[in-house]
Amino acid sequence: MDKTMSIEEVVASLESGMTIGIGGWGARRKPMALVRAIYRSPLEDLTVVSYGGADVGLLCAAGKVRRVVAPFVTLDSIPLEPHFRAARQAGAVEFTEYDEGMFMFGLLAAAHRLPFLPTRAGLGSDVMRVNPELRTVRSPYGEAGQDGEELVAVPALALDAALVHMDRADIRGNGQYLGPDPYLDDLFVKAAARSYVSCERLVGPGGLDGPPQSLLVSRMHVTGVVETPGGGHFTESSRDGGPGGGPGGGPGGRPGGGRDEAFQRHYAAAAADPQAWAAFAGRFLSGDEAAYQEAVRRWHEEREEGTR
Amino acid sequence: MATVVPLAEAVAELVRDGDSVAMEGFTHLIPYAAGHEIIRQGRRDLTLIRMTPDLVYDQLIGMGCARRLVFSWGGNPGVGSLHRFRDAVQNRWPAPLEIEEHSHAGIANAYVAGASGLPFAVLRGYRGTDLPSRTANIRPITCPFTGEELTAVPAINPDVAIVHAQRADRSGNVQLWGITGVQKEAVLAARRSLVTVEEIVEELEPRPGAVVLPGWAITRVSAAPGGSHPSYSAGYSVRDNAFYQAWDEISRDRETFLAWMGDHVLDRSATASEAGR
Repeated sequence: MDKTMSIEEVVASLESGMTIGIGGWGARRKPMALVRAIYRSPLEDLTVVSYGGADVGLLCAAGKVRRVVAPFVTLDSIPLEPHFRAARQAGAVEFTEYDEGMFMFGLLAAAHRLPFLPTRAGLGSDVMRVNPELRTVRSPYGEAGQDGEELVAVPALALDAALVHMDRADIRGNGQYLGPDPYLDDLFVKAAARSYVSCERLVGPGGLDGPPQSLLVSRMHVTGVVETPGGGHFTESSRDGGPGGGPGGGPGGRPGGGRDEAFQRHYAAAAADPQAWAAFAGRFLSGDEAAYQEAVRRWHEEREEGTR
Repeated sequence: MATVVPLAEAVAELVRDGDSVAMEGFTHLIPYAAGHEIIRQGRRDLTLIRMTPDLVYDQLIGMGCARRLVFSWGGNPGVGSLHRFRDAVQNRWPAPLEIEEHSHAGIANAYVAGASGLPFAVLRGYRGTDLPSRTANIRPITCPFTGEELTAVPAINPDVAIVHAQRADRSGNVQLWGITGVQKEAVLAARRSLVTVEEIVEELEPRPGAVVLPGWAITRVSAAPGGSHPSYSAGYSVRDNAFYQAWDEISRDRETFLAWMGDHVLDRSATASEAGR
C-alpha cells in the first residue's frame, strides 16, 4: 500500500485543538518541513508534546500553541530556545514540564494503551511541585502489615498525531534512521492515533538496505509518508544525500547532515528581536518548503561571498 | 563480572535448596543441560519460574526438585500434557507442588518490572478471566487519573536466572539470536545468573538482531554444547520433534520415567549433549 502524501496533505489532515507529538530530540532530527507547514497553516490551539527544540519555538512564535508538554526546549548549542523563552515569559503558552524519564514513561503508557505507568523518576524533586496535577500510586505489594512503596504515576501522553523525521523511508511507511540515536521516535508513533513520517529520501519497497536495527518505525504505525529532502534543516539530520544533505551536500556544504550551526545562530539572533524576526519570517517562512530550501541556499551563498 | 566455569561448578555455586529459579527460553534455547545438572546435584524445594514450562520442568518436577511452580502455560508443545507435572499436582508425587498461574503478558511484565527495579507492573491483562480468583498476588490497581481499574502483578526477581545462548566471549559477554523470549529480562531481574552457551569464542562478531548480554550483568557462563537439546539453538541445531513425541510415553509412567532419567541424566557418563538422545 502506497502511503505517500505531500507536506500540505499531511498538515491538512490535522485539526486545531489536537495534541501533536513531534519526534527527534532538541536540535536533532526534527520534522522541520512539516513544522514549517504547520507554521503557515491556519491550525491553532495545539498541545505540542516534544523533546523540544526549534519545532516548539517556531510553533510558539506563530501562536499555534496552547500548551507545551516537554522535558526541555533547547537548541543544544544554544541552551534555551528563544521563541519558547519569550512565549513563556509573556505567559502566552501553558507548560507541563516532566523529567526526561517520566516523559518516556508517559509515551510508553500511551503506546501500551494504558492510562498511566509507575516510575521512581521524579520522586523527591520539584517536578512534583510544579505539576500539581501529577499523582502518586501505591504499590499493592507492601511487606506484611505495611503500606506498599509510593511511586510517581505518569499519565499517558496519548497523541492525536505524531510527526517524526527519518533519514530514509519506503512508500509503505517503514522508517529508517542512519544516525547514532533513535531518540524516542518509535514510541511517538506507537503513542499516536495517527503518525506521519517525513524523510530525507523515499525509496520503493525493499529499498531500505542497512542494518536491521536501523529500521525504527514500522509501517503498521504509519498513516502517511512524505519525502522532504533537507526537511530536517536546520536541525541535525540529512544523512541520506539529496539536496538537503549527504556527504558535503547540505546547505552551506554541511558535511554529513550535521546541524546547520550558522543558520541556527541566525535564527536565534532573529528570534530575539521582533523586527529581525519579521525580516527572517518574510525571507524564509512566507513561502512553501521549496521556497524555504532555496532561501537557505541563497543565504549561505551570500554569506560565503561576504567572507571572500 | 561473569566468569567462565564448568557447568557443574556453576550450578553448585549458584543454585541452592529453596531458591527461586527462572529458566527461560521460548521454544528455542531452552537450558536443558543446566536443568539436568540441577537434577544430578539433587536440589530441593525450588520455586521454578518459567513462562512455558515444558519437558525440562517436567523432569525437574518428576525428580522432586520443585516445591512451587510460577508459570503462564504448561504442556508438551504440540503433543499434550506434561505427565510428571500433572502427577505432582493431582497425586502429590513425588512431592506436593504449589502452582501460581499467570498470563504470558503478566509474567513478561513482571520480569520487566523486576529488571527495572520497580515493585510491580501494570497491565490490562487478567480482566474478565478467572486467574485473579486462583492466583492471590494478582491485584487490582486504580489509575489515579482516570479511575480505571487495571491489573498489577508483583515484580519477579528470581534468586537465579538460567538461560542458554549461542555464544559467549572469554570475558563472559553473551550473544543470542533467533527467537529471543524473555531471557534478557529474566537475567537482568535475577540476583544471580548462569548462561550456558553452545561455544566460547575469542570475539563476538556483531550480528543483526542479536541480543547482547554484557558480562557485568551475568554471574557465571558455562560451555554446554548441545545444551538446549531437545529444543534447539538457531545456527547450531534443530528441534528434536521426535523426542518431544517420545517424551509422552516415557513420562506417562513413573517407573519408565525414573528409569529413563537414571540412564540419561543421573548417569554422569551421559554428557549433557547426549542426554535425551
